[in-house]
Amino acid sequence: MNRARIGLLLLLAALLLLPLGLSDFWLFIAIEVLAFALYAISFNLLMGYGGMLSFGHAAFFGVGAYTGALLAKKAGVTSIWAFVLVMPGAMAVAALIAVVIGFFSVRRSGIYFAMLTFAFQMLLYTVALKAIGLTGGDDGMTGLRPPGLLAAPSNYYYFALAWVLPSVYALYRLVNSPFGLTLRALRNNPLRVQYVGVNVRSHQLITFVVAGAFAGLAGALFAFSSGNVFPGWLNWTASATPIVMAVLGGVQSFLGPALGAAVYVVLEVTISGSTEYWPLFMGLIIMVLVLVMPRGLVGLLERGRR
Amino acid sequence: MIAPGATSADVLAVDSVAKRFGGVQALGGVTLQVRRGEFHAIIGPNGAGKSTFFNTLTGLILPDTGQIVFEGRSLTGLPPHERVRLGMGRTFQITRVFPDLTLLENVQVALLAHDRASLFPWRSASRHRPADARGLLERVGLTVSEHLPASTLAHGDRKRLELAITLAGEPTLLLLDEPTAGMAAQERLESIRMVHRVASDLGLSCLFTEHDMAVVFSVASRISVLVQGKLLITGQPEEVRASEQVQRVYLGEAVIEQGVNG
Repeated sequence: MNRARIGLLLLLAALLLLPLGLSDFWLFIAIEVLAFALYAISFNLLMGYGGMLSFGHAAFFGVGAYTGALLAKKAGVTSIWAFVLVMPGAMAVAALIAVVIGFFSVRRSGIYFAMLTFAFQMLLYTVALKAIGLTGGDDGMTGLRPPGLLAAPSNYYYFALAWVLPSVYALYRLVNSPFGLTLRALRNNPLRVQYVGVNVRSHQLITFVVAGAFAGLAGALFAFSSGNVFPGWLNWTASATPIVMAVLGGVQSFLGPALGAAVYVVLEVTISGSTEYWPLFMGLIIMVLVLVMPRGLVGLLERGRR
Repeated sequence: MIAPGATSADVLAVDSVAKRFGGVQALGGVTLQVRRGEFHAIIGPNGAGKSTFFNTLTGLILPDTGQIVFEGRSLTGLPPHERVRLGMGRTFQITRVFPDLTLLENVQVALLAHDRASLFPWRSASRHRPADARGLLERVGLTVSEHLPASTLAHGDRKRLELAITLAGEPTLLLLDEPTAGMAAQERLESIRMVHRVASDLGLSCLFTEHDMAVVFSVASRISVLVQGKLLITGQPEEVRASEQVQRVYLGEAVIEQGVNG
């Protein structure tokens, strides 16, 4: 067994045993890490593997969160079994929205692609803000709780883990599959990929939809641990979060963005617990990152091992 | 479907293709056939419309009028990737490979596309026909480690790799845009002879644009001369070399002499 495999098994064991050693407060943080790890990996499928820098990935996280909240509040999901279906429901709605946004956005590349995703996200943000009857407008939707036994933090942690682990594994298979190899080739040279006989636009659209669906799942999972959903989750500033997480961890490794998400969330909690200047620290962290370690924390770890 | 002046022995039949960009007539009705198995060169001074012509064949530019028939099938309205699937493989003047991918992966991307497997989401891509990918690398004479990223290759080897990528699609027609661009003079002849050998081994037809007359006359079985968007002449190398019209407009005696001796 090689070192990477041992490391993964240790990580898995740690994830399974985590609730035994954590207070409820840190359990909620752990759930947040799981959700944002999936979110950041889904984003990196677009940016790191596909070379598609989206400024609107928060749209799908937010749509997933609102879908979860609406299903719970308006459709009256009270049993655990119905609640289990909320997650694929959130994925499906996020995927559907991604089909529409992606259909138009993949027609352009680079900054124009980014601008289109940004514009669509602002559209959705306005809907969340103004459709007060449905979304509660500026006040958001509050008092979200998973039903029954799942309301206990450790149980909800395992529930989230049961969604995140298979999702991350599926994404891992995807990036190493023929689809993923073609996607990496496409990041290098879209024209050449077209001239080996690949329909580039549909390849990009599928990538966009898959990334959107998993971001939606992450959003729904997080909604029920935070207990609230706010329109700010759909605001364009929210789309910076997965970008920073991915860059912080390292976009060139599959699990880099997950590591970035963990560090980001824990830093945010500890720093904003002792000072109100969290954005200042975040700014400093990003500067150091880009200037000193462009390959992120994973790059730093790899350099340390050599 | 057979265009006027074409026969079923033609792989590609181009009929009166015209293209205008604003006030410039880039192509003024080009009619040309590529016969099965031939090595057909398109030459012409800079700005003659060679690139535009190439891009209309491969679907990057839509012609205003005229039609292109490949293996008896009209290409009108077909996007580039579908033309490739029919058997039109191309390389680019500025070499295009996938620098972050290994040599083997570069070819596997093309094999996957050829096998309509590019969308498979689960099984490992590295297991897709590695032996065939290796065989293609050998065929074009790439002997460096297959696990190196393509970014480490020298220019000439990149050209070889791009040819391997193109061959992976099992084309019947090779379209090569300036296949020796950016190479040193002696490297050019070596390179085009390799392409010629591979194409004849596989029984492929080939249409290529080229600046270097020595290269053109060393391998071309027929030559078309494009001047200001119009075909001046299509013929055997001796015909083209002897044509006063060609000499006057384009070549000049010295260049032709060089071609004969080179």
